[in-house]
Amino acid sequence: MNRSTLQHLTSPLIDNNPITLQMLGVCSALAVTTALDTALTMSLALIAVLTAASTVISLIRRHLPGSIRLVIQITIIASLVIVADQVLRAFAFEISQRLSVFVGLIVTNCIVLGRAETFAMRNPVWPSFLDGLGNGLGYGLILMLVATIREFLGSGSLFGLNVLPLASEGGWFQPLGFMLLAPSAFIIIGLLIWIIRTCRPAQVEADEFPILSLRSGDGS
Amino acid sequence: MNRLTGNMPRPWDSYRVTLATAVALLPAVAVFIARHFPAIVAPMLLALGLGLAWPLLFAWLRRKPLRWDGLLTATVFVLLLPAGVPLWHLALALSFGLVFGDLIFGDRGRSFLNPATVGLAFLLFSFPGLGTEPSGLTVTLAAAVGGAILLGLGLLSWRVATAFTIGIAGPLLMLGGIEGLEAMTSASLVLGLVFLVGDPVAGASTNAGRWVHGGLAGGLVVLLGSAGDSAGSLPSVVFAALLASILAPLIDQVVIFFNVRRRARRQSNV
Repeated sequence: MNRSTLQHLTSPLIDNNPITLQMLGVCSALAVTTALDTALTMSLALIAVLTAASTVISLIRRHLPGSIRLVIQITIIASLVIVADQVLRAFAFEISQRLSVFVGLIVTNCIVLGRAETFAMRNPVWPSFLDGLGNGLGYGLILMLVATIREFLGSGSLFGLNVLPLASEGGWFQPLGFMLLAPSAFIIIGLLIWIIRTCRPAQVEADEFPILSLRSGDGS
Repeated sequence: MNRLTGNMPRPWDSYRVTLATAVALLPAVAVFIARHFPAIVAPMLLALGLGLAWPLLFAWLRRKPLRWDGLLTATVFVLLLPAGVPLWHLALALSFGLVFGDLIFGDRGRSFLNPATVGLAFLLFSFPGLGTEPSGLTVTLAAAVGGAILLGLGLLSWRVATAFTIGIAGPLLMLGGIEGLEAMTSASLVLGLVFLVGDPVAGASTNAGRWVHGGLAGGLVVLLGSAGDSAGSLPSVVFAALLASILAPLIDQVVIFFNVRRRARRQSNV
């Protein structure tokens, strides 16, 4: 695999991350990240659906009439999501119950349709497969980071195993209830974006309302 | 005028508001320390240390002069703190309030929330079931003196204060008659009015908006209080202040919209 093909896999991890740069899929990132196991299941489901959808749509991209392409894309994605949901119900029933509607809502996840429309429709199968996989991994990476912080501070555990001595069992750690509420995920994602943009200044957006410097005001 | 310093505020201008607020805080702090002398020393020192350390760190990172408002935030935070909060809860909540309520927006005056409100809201959200806050008529009176100082200097808007009082007294009178008004003597309520709801940074900045903002905060105190323990309890005041501050820019926007429309109509009629 040469460097430019590999780029499709590696660039969505941080440089073009679906959550922190494209700001897509934030809804599910808030909802499923209270615990690591649900976040991991959700990431795997999304990686499977996204990779398969990108591959399939890229395979038939030359046969898709432009006027009905969105209908067909959504049909394919919805079918894949139903399969993923059924597999989870069959083999991981408890987690599937805890994820409730969020696996089903992958259909409306903008990352999936976004990659299909902007990448898979215009590229051959192999790059599309890598692009789908890379974006899924980028999404999963952020989900796992957020879930680690939230579960550690919100319940003092990782993957359901107690790490910190809880106050309810005689230890010193009082779990932060705030971390189990959705606003905390907003703040953590915001912090991640801050860190990433500090390390990669190329991602910083231009100021909408720039503060004029003193020098430019001197002319008047 | 010197080219370099011409547009820079002199130190007195820059720190005047901070100093005035500190003077207004003094009576409440004095009474509070006298009431809780030995127990309050450690939390107070920790809070003041954080209130200095975080702004110092950000000032150093951003190469900006240090501002002293963090100390005021820390003091207000400690005055409103429920009794028996462990020190590490205090440190966490106050750091959250200072950094996310204030410093990441670029220090005092650039944020849209009061950092003490943010910190207290974080504390109440994270550790539910905290002990009741210390209340005493002397602290209430001292806070009211501070409020009077700020009112006199124009830092606390009389519109906000009046609307807040009406917004609380109206529903309380309807719900519980004259006895219901006893809730208005709670120390956290008066401190909350003067230093959280009345904070000019976190409030509406149009005159009509100030009436709405104050009335909304007062009404929310009663509403949230009736759902919880009592009107004037700490959670009701903090969350009312938080919600009212979040809505303040929207209130201003609506006021400005109507003002623009009124003026446009007047222009077209001429």
